[in-house]
Parts: sequence; structure tokens; C-alpha cells
Amino acid sequence: MSSIEREIGHDEYDPVGTLALIGLYFLLLVVLWTFTYFVEFLGGDLTVVGTLL
Amino acid sequence: MNVHTYEKVWLGAAMVLIVFFIASVTYGAIGAGVAMVDDSEETIDPDTLGEDDRFGDPRVEQVGDDEYEVYAVARTFVFQPDPIEVPEDSTVTFYITSGDVIHSFSVVGTNANVMVIPGEVATMTVEVDEPGEYGIVCNEYCGPGHHDMEGLLVVQPEDEFELEDDE
Repeated sequence: MSSIEREIGHDEYDPVGTLALIGLYFLLLVVLWTFTYFVEFLGGDLTVVGTLL
Repeated sequence: MNVHTYEKVWLGAAMVLIVFFIASVTYGAIGAGVAMVDDSEETIDPDTLGEDDRFGDPRVEQVGDDEYEVYAVARTFVFQPDPIEVPEDSTVTFYITSGDVIHSFSVVGTNANVMVIPGEVATMTVEVDEPGEYGIVCNEYCGPGHHDMEGLLVVQPEDEFELEDDE
């Protein structure tokens, strides 16, 4: 068992790499949703608009 | 409770993302006017389609400026009429019924996709913009020739379009 080398407080824990990675995933999610919904789903031709009845 | 700053950021961002998802779907339904397929048509006798005013002669009909109606029949294993020809920049209402079993009418690569049930008239209105060709397929298994069941929807340039009756 190794002894505690350094003790840090709650907010001193600073996982920047994890934050960057999750930020990247988040950005990807937003971009892909925007593309799928606005470009592929709404942008495609033959827009169904319901009935004329 | 002690919540880490990064966790607060993540929670906030996730909330914003959910609002963005819901907002974009709401926009699609209200702002962009995308609608669901309707089911308000009356029923019809699939055995006497030949004598029906609309489906006796499957066709494309002009009902107004840039407004067309398509009366289509799906049977094992064809779509009638084939090809369906409509002009660009028009509003097209499809009335589709089946003469035998359950089929579907799916315009490939678009949101125009409806189940076709014998005795029911599937109705959907679409807006057609650019000229082009779309395949139509049946995506309800309807028998041994199901995989060969296909039709064609041709969107023609305005100056090339003419109804079959006018020829």
C-alpha cells in the first residue's frame, strides 16, 4: 500500500481531458441531430403536408 | 450538496440539448408544416374497384393551379398507374387503395410512405419541388413477388408535363 501522495479538494479535481472528450461528443450529437433532422428529414423533397380535405 | 463545476456544466448542457430536440420537432410540426398521413377517407369495396369512379381508371388528375390528385391502386405485384407523372412545384394528393392484400406505398428516400389496406383509401398530400425520379416500393410483405413490386414517380419539368388525357 502506498501512502497518500497529495490530497486535493473537491473543486481542485480538474479532469480537463474528460471535459474536452465529453464536449466533443456533445458537439457531435448536436451536429448530427441538426443534419439528420433539418437537412435529411425536413430538407428532402416530397414534403408530406397532410390532406386538402 | 457539493456538485463539481464540470458536472453543473454537463447538467445544464444536457437540459439545453433536450429543449433543443423538443424545439426542433415542434418547429418541424408547426413551422415547416410537416403533417401526418390522414385516415378520414371512407371505406371502399376492394372487389369492385374496376367500377369505382376514382380507382376504376388509376390516373393523375389536375384539380387546380399546380394542384393534382393521383388515384393509385396497389395490387400484387404492381402499382397503377406506372409511372405516375406529376409536374414540378406542385401539390399532389395521393389516394391509394389496394385491390387485394395489404401493401404499402413508399416513395423511396422521402417521408411519403403510407400503408395501403384493401377497403381503405390512404390519403396523403405532398409538396413536390424539383424534377426527378423516385422509386416507389411496397414495404409490407404481400406475397412471393413482393420484392419485385415497384413503381415509378416522375416529377417532370413544368414545360414537359402533360396529362395523359391531353395527348
